[in-house]
Amino acid sequence: MAPIVITESLTHAYNSEVVALRDFNLAIEAGVTGLVGANGAGKTTFLRILLGLVHPTSGKVTVLGDDAIADPLAVRARVGYMPENNCLPKDQTAADFVAYTAEMAGLPTADARRRASETLFLVGLEEERFRFLGDFSTGMAQRVKLAQAIVHGPELVLLDEPASGLDPAGRQQMLEIIQRLGSFGINVIFSSHLLGDIEQTCDAVVMIDGGHLIRSGPVSTVATTSVVLVDVLGDAATLANSLTAAGVEALTLTEHRLSFTVAADEDYDRVRDAAAELGIGIFRMAPISHTLEDEFLVIARKNES
Amino acid sequence: MSGRETTGSPARQSDAVIYDRGYRSYEGERRGRGAIRRAIARDGIRRILGLRRKARRKILPWSLLVIGVVMAAVIIGLHFVAGSIAAGIAEGLPSYPHLFDLYSRVALLLIAVTGPELLIPDRTQGVLSVYFSRPMRVSDYLAGKLFAYLTVAGAIYVVPQILLHLGLAGLSDDGFLSYLGSNLDVLWKIPVVALGFLAVHGGLLAILSSLIDRTGFAAAAYLAILTAGNGIAGVIADADFPGSSFVALLALDDHARVVRDWVFDVSLGLYRPQEEGFEPWVSAVAIALVALIGSWFAYRRYRKQA
Repeated sequence: MAPIVITESLTHAYNSEVVALRDFNLAIEAGVTGLVGANGAGKTTFLRILLGLVHPTSGKVTVLGDDAIADPLAVRARVGYMPENNCLPKDQTAADFVAYTAEMAGLPTADARRRASETLFLVGLEEERFRFLGDFSTGMAQRVKLAQAIVHGPELVLLDEPASGLDPAGRQQMLEIIQRLGSFGINVIFSSHLLGDIEQTCDAVVMIDGGHLIRSGPVSTVATTSVVLVDVLGDAATLANSLTAAGVEALTLTEHRLSFTVAADEDYDRVRDAAAELGIGIFRMAPISHTLEDEFLVIARKNES
Repeated sequence: MSGRETTGSPARQSDAVIYDRGYRSYEGERRGRGAIRRAIARDGIRRILGLRRKARRKILPWSLLVIGVVMAAVIIGLHFVAGSIAAGIAEGLPSYPHLFDLYSRVALLLIAVTGPELLIPDRTQGVLSVYFSRPMRVSDYLAGKLFAYLTVAGAIYVVPQILLHLGLAGLSDDGFLSYLGSNLDVLWKIPVVALGFLAVHGGLLAILSSLIDRTGFAAAAYLAILTAGNGIAGVIADADFPGSSFVALLALDDHARVVRDWVFDVSLGLYRPQEEGFEPWVSAVAIALVALIGSWFAYRRYRKQA
């Protein structure tokens, strides 16, 4: 199956100083994909470029086989979007608003109203659909935002921080709904700065930091690497420098924590020997690549250095 | 599709099933941008009239609409009473051009209260980020809003005039059809003059709605410019400095009246642009300019927002 999103040398700069995305070369496969990065990393800009709402400074973007720059309307007809910001009119009922957004995607009025009811049922708002949106809680509002994103039957849904502002129970429910979308055959790209959410929900992950694409691929492969975390009694930076000098790829994470990449089994011996030589005690040494959060931290630090 | 059995009576137990319908992809008809523009226009009309909104949103627009219809009925009634006494009295009653003065006040209030609601909340409540993720352009969105404005505000000008026209035809001694046949020109004059009022009011509203984020402030600014603006422009135009007469062109509300008199070939007053020696066509151009500038402002603002 062809990738649902392909970018080639995609770059977007708001001005000469603020570069949101730098030279993205990416292919996102069908399924549920997480877009992860800190606030301001360029996630929202990337999603808006996919919709054709932002024209990139250079590069190419193909979404579901359509050129998002040359023919954004063709892309938007097949894509749903849930913005991060407040985007609900306070003086409309949920049913009216979702039906209206369906009509704006070209659905006839009767179909739009039927789909609005079905979609609000799907997100758990069947009882509240005739209430005014101004009276909705944050959790309910997030569900309405999700409902409008899928009401017109899109092939791909872009969700910008869908769990933002939700309490733990609401967050869990939202993540379960997103997982269900994947099981219904809808492709999802969902941005978050919370790696736990991505790890729980997604098949694949795209990591962005400071406008740089730092890693992408299936969650299982990204989260399984050969990086080892070392907690020490002493100065981690001194040990890291010593290891680097010995040919081991090492990074200082905190004052008493470093990581190194295992290229060969002998690297463990090199770490032990270097620590003994410097008089630094090692009290923990374990692979850290079991969570995306650890992986992201290591890669981001590597890019910085 | 998954299901489970209910706990009904044993005899019916195997028949009753609750289904989780899940999600079904939409395979039906998808219409083009024309249908999207119509959907936006329908929503705009509903918003102006407060339909499918809370009850308090309906009070003012419907009150003004009722006032408009009642005024037309009263004038028709006056024509009927006056005509039955003496034909000369009926000729002195308000006719088509006069009604524009009357209804421009009703429309002014309706547009001031409901007009900013057409554009500003979508922008300030962030709803545009949803709308523009749909397969449409900014021009489609604005065209839909324009159609909604023209439909409702236009109805305030045109519907009572048509009622009056039919009423006068019904009261005519020459007969209903004969009156309609000999007054066919009214049928194009009414929409043309209404368009003049709608263009200058709508253009100004579009400018203010693009610049101001609070509907109340936009409404206040709109009323202030159209009510006090004529007087202020007149005072400045009267001052003796080079080019002062051109300031009279800023008396926006007078332009529509100048064009009305021009079209109906009457003189119901001497308006600022005329006092300064400008021909009626200059007022027509001024109206077109206000409408163009308003469109440009709205397009720029909403394109940036998209």
